[in-house]
Amino acid sequence: MEKQLIVDGINETLSEEFELGIDKLTPDAHLFDDLGLDSLDAVDMLVHIEDKTGVKMDVEQFQKVKTLGDVYDLVAEVSSQSKLN
Amino acid sequence: MSLNNKVVIVTGGSSGLGLAISKRMAKDGYQVLINYNSNEEGAARCRDEITKAGGRASIIQFNVSDREQVEASLEKFFGENSDAQLYGLINNAGITKDTLVGLMSDDDFKDVIETNLYGSFYLMRWSVKKMLLKKEGFVINMASLSGQVGNGGQANYAASKAGVIAMTKSLANEVGRRGIRINCVAPGIIETKMTENIPFLEEMKKNIPLRRIGKPEEVASVVSFLASTEASYMTGQTLSVNGGLYFS
Repeated sequence: MEKQLIVDGINETLSEEFELGIDKLTPDAHLFDDLGLDSLDAVDMLVHIEDKTGVKMDVEQFQKVKTLGDVYDLVAEVSSQSKLN
Repeated sequence: MSLNNKVVIVTGGSSGLGLAISKRMAKDGYQVLINYNSNEEGAARCRDEITKAGGRASIIQFNVSDREQVEASLEKFFGENSDAQLYGLINNAGITKDTLVGLMSDDDFKDVIETNLYGSFYLMRWSVKKMLLKKEGFVINMASLSGQVGNGGQANYAASKAGVIAMTKSLANEVGRRGIRINCVAPGIIETKMTENIPFLEEMKKNIPLRRIGKPEEVASVVSFLASTEASYMTGQTLSVNGGLYFS
């Protein structure tokens, strides 16, 4: 999956599910401090992204995610790995 | 509320409490996914009884203590049945390996914890993630009187069930704000294979205020209540079904 498609897909999911304005969804946005998500929202986000992209993420890796850019990178990384497999 | 496509997973649904619970869930209108590990015949019989009575049920094999098997089997089922929506989970599968602590092997302890505690965790984690998407659903974990008060000869089993009760409260806290309810049922002495060899059963009955042991259907009816919207304001609770043997 191309990176831009991943970014668009994640942004669409986040704006739909968490009612976040698209303008707020920048790579350096901190999930908790800037986007106002809490830890359960992070679980929701994980579930929604997996559902939308079909990419299965490693929970331990996801725990390290801090910004939206980290989320894009992780999904891109897992997506390219699953393609290789 | 139409329950037509709402699936309830019952682990260990091929006999005993799981059988009674599966039948009750089907009677309540849910589509029941009956899990079994080795007793395929029992699970198939349970499915056939439900179908004959006009209900909907399927059987699914996995060992609850094997995470990969659990996840792969459930992904496959829900992938092949796209109209089925996971609505409820009843963590019922459990084993005992009773002996005094001084005689208890590492494996006796480990096996019981892996099936009863890890197994419940694997199923809950997988299921709750699905429920979060829908913002509805329930989990009912089968605890036990042993997990509430302890029981000589059951250090492994009691520890696993006490863990299940604590895990229930913790998860209830986490997902309550998404409308998902997590509760426990703690049976006392119930007529099942697990209790058929209890020594001094007649003597024990004298200590039960209701003076008898319970029937699986009497546990299933409490599970049915907790699953229903009648219990819509209950989460993180443990309901004891023990004839009064212990007042929690």
